[in-house]
Amino acid sequence: MSVAVQLIMNGLIIGSIYALVATGFSLIYNVTKFVHFAHGSVVAFAAYIFYLLIKLGLGLPLSILLTIIISSIFGAAIDWAVYRQLRKRKASAAVLLIASIGLMILLNSAILAVAGADVKSIPINNPVFDVMGARITQLQVIIIAMVFVLLVGLYFFMKHTKLGKAMRATADNNAVAQTVGINPQRMYTYVFMIGSALAGVAGILVGLEQNLFPEMGTSMIIKGFTGAVIGGMSSVPGSVAGSLFVGLVENIGIWWLPSGYKDAIAFGLLFIFLLFRPKGLFGGKA
Amino acid sequence: MANKLLDVQKLKSGYGKLEVLRGVSMHVDPGEIVVIIGPNGAGKSTLVKSIFALNDIYSGSINYKHKNVTKLPTHERIEMGIGYVPQGRQVFPTLTVRENLEMGGYLTNEKDLLKKRMEEVFKHFPILQERLNQLGGTLSGGQQQMLAIGRSLMQDPQLLLLDEPSLGLSPKAMKEVFQKVLDIRKEGCSFLIVEQNAKQAVKLADRIYVLEEGKVGLHGDKKILKNPKIKKIYLGGHGHD
Repeated sequence: MSVAVQLIMNGLIIGSIYALVATGFSLIYNVTKFVHFAHGSVVAFAAYIFYLLIKLGLGLPLSILLTIIISSIFGAAIDWAVYRQLRKRKASAAVLLIASIGLMILLNSAILAVAGADVKSIPINNPVFDVMGARITQLQVIIIAMVFVLLVGLYFFMKHTKLGKAMRATADNNAVAQTVGINPQRMYTYVFMIGSALAGVAGILVGLEQNLFPEMGTSMIIKGFTGAVIGGMSSVPGSVAGSLFVGLVENIGIWWLPSGYKDAIAFGLLFIFLLFRPKGLFGGKA
Repeated sequence: MANKLLDVQKLKSGYGKLEVLRGVSMHVDPGEIVVIIGPNGAGKSTLVKSIFALNDIYSGSINYKHKNVTKLPTHERIEMGIGYVPQGRQVFPTLTVRENLEMGGYLTNEKDLLKKRMEEVFKHFPILQERLNQLGGTLSGGQQQMLAIGRSLMQDPQLLLLDEPSLGLSPKAMKEVFQKVLDIRKEGCSFLIVEQNAKQAVKLADRIYVLEEGKVGLHGDKKILKNPKIKKIYLGGHGHD
């Protein structure tokens, strides 16, 4: 029993980090209409920046703040330097997708070149609690609380602020958004900033909870992308539910399989959904 | 004639390397309803898009309220009082009716003013008030067209560009939309309307331009449909004289 509770808890905790990745990813996808696979590498970039800042002795609060700001600017810079240049040349969504995969490989290699191949970890003081026979760390409680607050905040931002509405309008119909005076390019910049700030938080959390390694971005985007697909891509609450589902399945899956198969389980899920339910659990329309 | 609201001179425009308009001159006076008709591909939509800065202008000029706006971007033209309702009942489908209207006033930051304008939109289109919290995509075709027009009214335009407002509407909905145009005109708004449905639109018009292969083929009042040349234009004959 306690093993089951433990696995479910572990699944929800890592699933909530995936949810941050998936939410940023699907937000960017919905507004810009292309798949930004390098989003996972922004998570990895953030984790390494955070590691560096901690090593420099900046302390936890300042390192967290700076990492989020740097990730946000980094995301907008990627859009400006790569995607925007391609859009100007009227590149199709397929070309942008390929560019984003290239960018992911480039960023992974850059991290490998600069930080080295060794696995790094960020030491923090992390007391353990006992919840219904499962062991939960203080950090894990913070992860769940933080993700919850961020996602609720994002929901209110998108629903009730003028900028949030303008982003949804751009996502709905880019051409019409232009006719009411919305500058779609500016919305792209904002959505990259917001999505990448969420990726920054995910990078911090995953860096604290697990280890850092150069390829971690690929693993994060596989989970985030699978979560978003299961949730139906166009729906942010769907992406959250889908990500929690991925976290649960991969953690319950290691009851039977060695833990090295976690990524394979996510891929398997992605494959099943793309094959049998490409619109996801919640996606109404294509 | 000295008091033109909109004055287009020798306009050449299109999309990238594709030149569609090949020297169009036309104008709209204050309070006028001007209708543009012509066969498919004549450049009707291209003309209103150019007036709203949505495509590439190669040469010629667009003057609005005696100011040269040829090089101004869309949002500045909106702020000067030009509104545009695109072809095909274009609303934001996953935004509510209220949010659609709010987005129409995107460039206005005064909340009281927006509230007042929304009330005025409801006066013209009471159905929008009834459906305020419904998603734009769930409205009927006619209601969507009214929402699209209502959205453009949120910026209080003095010149409203309508691109094929009757497209895909039932005859009843079309009549309703055209009646609204007449109502809104009474409040001092001028209209430039592109229409495929020539007969219905001409009934509304003070003046009509017939576009033909990127140029003004004919220009006149309601009697224009009786002009023998118009048949040639519509049947694709190259009626140059």
